Amino acid sequence: MTALERNQLRFTVMSLVPPLMLFTFWIALPSAKAFYFALTKWDGLSEPEFIGPGHLASIATLQDPLVQTAVKNNLILMVVPAMLILSLALFFASVIRSGLRGGSLFRVTFFFPNILSAVAISVLWMLLYSTSGFGVFNNFLEWFNQSLIGLGARSEPLLKVPFAFTDSSILVWSIVPMMVWTATGFYMLLFFASMQSIPESLYEAARVDGASTFSQFWHITLPMIRDTVVTGLVFLIIAGLKIFDQIWVIEQQQARPDSNTLTTLMYSKIFTEYRVGYGTAIAVVLFLVILGFTLATFKLYRKEALEY
Amino acid sequence: MGRDRLNPGRVVCLSVLIAWLFAVVFPFVWVLQTSTRSTQEIFRSPFGIPSDFWGSLKANYTKAWVESNFSDYFANSLIVVLSTMVLLFILACPAAYTLARKRSRTSRFLLIYIVSGMMVPAPLLLVPLFFQYKDWSAKLTEWFSPMLSMIGYENATISLADSQPGLVILYTALALPFTIFVLTSFFRTLPTSLYEAGIMDGCSEFRVFWSVMLPLARPGLITVAIFNFIGLWNEYFFALVFINSDKYKTLPLGLASVSIQANYRSDFGLLFAGLVIVLLPTLLVYIFLQSYLVRGITVGALKG
Repeated sequence: MTALERNQLRFTVMSLVPPLMLFTFWIALPSAKAFYFALTKWDGLSEPEFIGPGHLASIATLQDPLVQTAVKNNLILMVVPAMLILSLALFFASVIRSGLRGGSLFRVTFFFPNILSAVAISVLWMLLYSTSGFGVFNNFLEWFNQSLIGLGARSEPLLKVPFAFTDSSILVWSIVPMMVWTATGFYMLLFFASMQSIPESLYEAARVDGASTFSQFWHITLPMIRDTVVTGLVFLIIAGLKIFDQIWVIEQQQARPDSNTLTTLMYSKIFTEYRVGYGTAIAVVLFLVILGFTLATFKLYRKEALEY
Repeated sequence: MGRDRLNPGRVVCLSVLIAWLFAVVFPFVWVLQTSTRSTQEIFRSPFGIPSDFWGSLKANYTKAWVESNFSDYFANSLIVVLSTMVLLFILACPAAYTLARKRSRTSRFLLIYIVSGMMVPAPLLLVPLFFQYKDWSAKLTEWFSPMLSMIGYENATISLADSQPGLVILYTALALPFTIFVLTSFFRTLPTSLYEAGIMDGCSEFRVFWSVMLPLARPGLITVAIFNFIGLWNEYFFALVFINSDKYKTLPLGLASVSIQANYRSDFGLLFAGLVIVLLPTLLVYIFLQSYLVRGITVGALKG
């Protein structure tokens, strides 16, 4: 071996071994261990007792009423924000693409909430939602009530004010606007960037044929950026599945049966009920569902390249 | 293209955009304005001119920065995130460079192995890492306590849980797959002729990496640095699990506990001021870096 080869080999080994060790001991092996813990009954103090896939089966078949509520909440947070965010983002991106003075001001401003922590956004919205005197939304509802009475449309208030937006029973619905407010700007940028690669000649041809703005969007823009929209949809579904921070912060770092999602339920099973095996099984189910969605994305991608 | 021609359809579209602009900006203006009012005034109504602007401002921000330890949370976040970034780049840059340069089967396998880590959701790691940190802390203490007592630290314990080094190593590991993924694809775009020229001139492997390839990868490094910084600065889940002591809390963790205290004590002047302390630096950094961020997303979208 020449001196050069020795030098190269040393660099290769030195550059790869430390990160591989770190990855193996902090990510890969712990992930594998999680699958084992999910098959055990364990209080976190004594030795884990192997019981087989009982926990996984119980979660997958929704035996536990707490799991039922959590799954229902997760489904709401997977579907509703995704629909609203994708529609709004597509709309904003097409309007800005069609040429608009100040387009970059809109892009930069709409994107900003994305770089804030979920904790800060939750605290901010908690204050907006507050039932105390400063709650902006409740003051608006009160103003609405008074206006109706003032106009003589009603004799008593139409809405019950103050309305408890962050009450556990409806918390997931109050988180929907938060997520839409936060994420729309990111998806708008994503779609806007993707629209840049659509050749202008397609739109010109459509205009010559007398296609309306909407039919241009439906028949040209949307099919051309289909893969980006699919990617966005899967991102949002996974985000709704993994959501934790917003609920945990608004519920004052405690799990409540009505507002649980799978992640907050997992947390409380592990750290308050000491059912560590069961909690880990929830995480394993979460991982498998995310894996399924990710693999499904590749199936949904367009099979052959578009020709134009 | 009919740029800015005003027809009814365009007016409606533009109004919706302006309404959204208002919806995004309004909460920040509101929080900033409200943080200059006293708690009594805040309770009275969501809007209003502060009766004693400087007095309330000083009272709220002093309470948040000093009494509620926001200065400590801020410092902790800086220490943890900056240390993580340094460790991350020391580990990830050479590895990404090697994985990009070697086109062997082993190298492809190792890349897939590490990048597959991007699929692992945080909750899956929670229990294994929690108990691993407990075990390893006990073992480390056992091994090092004789040494520590020799230099005068009797009954000292070494802990990975509830410590900043433990959090830094964990964050580095979590950020590794994404960082190596992006940097490897970046190094691949650099021409191999540069590498060969460097070797011809008698540079060592490290020298070529450090003086030739790394400077060329700067745009990639900056993008990765920004995205990692944002992600780590905002990280809440693992910080919540691993940090218990108030003195080690990072900014998201600190804000969450201050929000609970503020609700409990009905001291909202403090909470509004705390929120501004969290939001304002992010806004300032964003104003400087927005072009990088927007470009990063644009490039990513066009590639995939």
